[in-house]
Amino acid sequence: MAKIKLLPSPPAGLRPQPKRPEDPAVDDQPKDLVKEAGVSAAAWVDERTSLSGTVRWVMFRPIPKGTNWFYTLGTATMVAFINQVITGVVLAMYYDPSVTHAYESMKYINNEVFLGEFIHGMHRWGSTVMVILVFLHMARTFFFGAYKYPRELNWIVGVALLVLTLVMSVTGYLLPFDQRAYWASVVAMNIGGNAPLLGPFTPPAALGGPDVTTVTLSRFYAIHMMIIPGLIIGLISAHLYLVIKLGTSAPPWVRADKVGGDLKEHDA
Amino acid sequence: MNQREKEEYLREYSVLKAQGKPFFPYIIVKDGVMMIVVIGTIMLLSIVLGGELTAKADATTTTYAPRPEWYYFWAFELLRVIKPPALVSLATVGVPTIAMLLLFLLPFYDRNPERHPLRRPVATTAGIFVIGAMFFLSYLGAEAEPPSRVDMEPPPSVATAGGATLEKWEAGRKLVAQSSCGGCHKIGANGNDGPGPQLTQIGDRLKQGAIRETLINPTLPMPSFAKLGPEKLDDIAFFLSTLKSGSGGGH
Amino acid sequence: MSDRPAKSKYTLDRGIPGAFEGETVTRRRMMVLAANATGGIAIGAVALSAAGFAIGQPFVEVDTGWHDMGPLDEIPNDTYVPRVITLDPKTGQVGKSTVYLRQRNPVVDKEPGDQYNKVVAISSRCMHMGCPARYVQAAQHFVCPCHGGVYDFRGEVAAGPPVRPLDRFYTRITSTGRVEVGRRFSVNSELKRFSPRPPGQPLDGIGQYLYPSNPSQRKLPGT
Repeated sequence: MAKIKLLPSPPAGLRPQPKRPEDPAVDDQPKDLVKEAGVSAAAWVDERTSLSGTVRWVMFRPIPKGTNWFYTLGTATMVAFINQVITGVVLAMYYDPSVTHAYESMKYINNEVFLGEFIHGMHRWGSTVMVILVFLHMARTFFFGAYKYPRELNWIVGVALLVLTLVMSVTGYLLPFDQRAYWASVVAMNIGGNAPLLGPFTPPAALGGPDVTTVTLSRFYAIHMMIIPGLIIGLISAHLYLVIKLGTSAPPWVRADKVGGDLKEHDA
Repeated sequence: MNQREKEEYLREYSVLKAQGKPFFPYIIVKDGVMMIVVIGTIMLLSIVLGGELTAKADATTTTYAPRPEWYYFWAFELLRVIKPPALVSLATVGVPTIAMLLLFLLPFYDRNPERHPLRRPVATTAGIFVIGAMFFLSYLGAEAEPPSRVDMEPPPSVATAGGATLEKWEAGRKLVAQSSCGGCHKIGANGNDGPGPQLTQIGDRLKQGAIRETLINPTLPMPSFAKLGPEKLDDIAFFLSTLKSGSGGGH
Repeated sequence: MSDRPAKSKYTLDRGIPGAFEGETVTRRRMMVLAANATGGIAIGAVALSAAGFAIGQPFVEVDTGWHDMGPLDEIPNDTYVPRVITLDPKTGQVGKSTVYLRQRNPVVDKEPGDQYNKVVAISSRCMHMGCPARYVQAAQHFVCPCHGGVYDFRGEVAAGPPVRPLDRFYTRITSTGRVEVGRRFSVNSELKRFSPRPPGQPLDGIGQYLYPSNPSQRKLPGT
């Protein structure tokens, strides 16, 4: 546990503190009462879960010096994904994944629902932003050599996340069920059907029939709403765990100061 | 990386970490700013571009020209340029499978301990080449307009003449689009480059009469368009004869 | 393991207390096997049924039946007329398909004639990636708007990347002189009939073996 020694002490709120009933000023102020209640609630949870150590491990982990704005691309990608989750869940409140009603329900969202086209647009353009950010994040990792020892596994998890993101963009593209959606899905499935030996079987299995049919839409909806998001959330958790466990990489041109020095020196 | 290089890296990294700052609150501030930028961008895109829908899905259409989302334009262009039928599966499954395998296995075949992009010339060059190729293919894919349309502005000489000349030019343009000349000829941004010659500057090489004659008595495999009748043939020949280099006929 | 002296496979010989004559499996090993087996059986039962439910249906045979396309004399033999057939009435416009019809013309149609091709019915799906191809009468070609596929009057590839001629449909003439369109079939470059394949799958040479047909869709027997 040599690592922990480098950590600064956590803020008072996260440290279980004994009550001080002998201090009359504390109980007089409502602000202090609320603070006291918060601290004791946190202490109650911590006593039963021992989470405070994990929170300190996550929040107060040292980040190597020289870290720059390129290192926010991962967070940016995750925020784009969270945007997709939130807007996607509320879109599902009005969306109807049936061949005969999907397009009409999208029209209804666009034209009738309060903020409908705005939320639809956020989901639609959020996907574009997410794809761009995934590629930028990957390019940063590639050019900075950050996929090398000891972060090889995290690169592999990241590539799996890239694949899942592209599957999301393909399955989500069909859902509005307009001409663009329909024909893009037809072409995408025929691209998959071009694989020798497997080709004749994988697209029908994905589509639920020989062509884009009734079942395809609800099938893509289930994949888009449940299967892939579940996998993405699981893999993002693994990705973040590895980032925290191994530490974020430093830019390859940054070298450690030979003078040594400790945290306080840079803690301006 | 051998054991010594691994230990060297871990030692250097632990010093860098000791000389760094805690994630909260020094680093998380940058992430917070980035979050606002991302959400702000998405909201702005949504407000400006909205969530438009095209017509309802219709499998019986014969006029709709499918185009992919822009970030698949490079794949779309790959499908367009790989013409031999035997190589189609290269564009559809070959290239993507190889690319994905190369990405997944990157840490296993790139075992060079060096991380600086300038001291990894092969990796950096390969990365820049792939990005450049994807941008180039995407650009070509984005430029490829369907062969069932001709997106052109009248050249200045026609536009200034106006009246009957402009009408004839417009009629010719529509006929060229309806007759799917673009199926075999490239016309500006539209159409396929081959098997027929490019028509974007056909006016430089052939006069109106010669074009009209070619439409009636073409060399195989081009079909004869004589059935269109003399009037429509005149319109098409006039339109094509105005397509000259430097006439501003591009889109 | 090889550096250790070889152990007898009988538990009795290894001096394990309570061992039976002829017993070869230790109790611990039995329990490990049982733990793995119970978990595997429980999860496998659910996973296999779910997977079968999810991906089995597409391979159950479907018959699209015969669709009336009107009287024979409305169909020319020197150009195509587009007709819409309904393959699945429940799904609206996506359960339909556009078919181009013309009467068989011995001057251009060299493939052997039989009861199913007195009328030639050509599918509008491009055989490159499935985009909607259109018959252009002025050019007498089918043109696809996507990746540059062009087909000639008989639906054979004239230019671009398509891997085989346009798919066709069986047709028959009823006793009352009406045309009916049946199921779809694919053709190779010699216009020989094959069970229907999705676009993008070649049928020449080893293509038909690399891309086997879906058991749910077959050509008519004996054709």
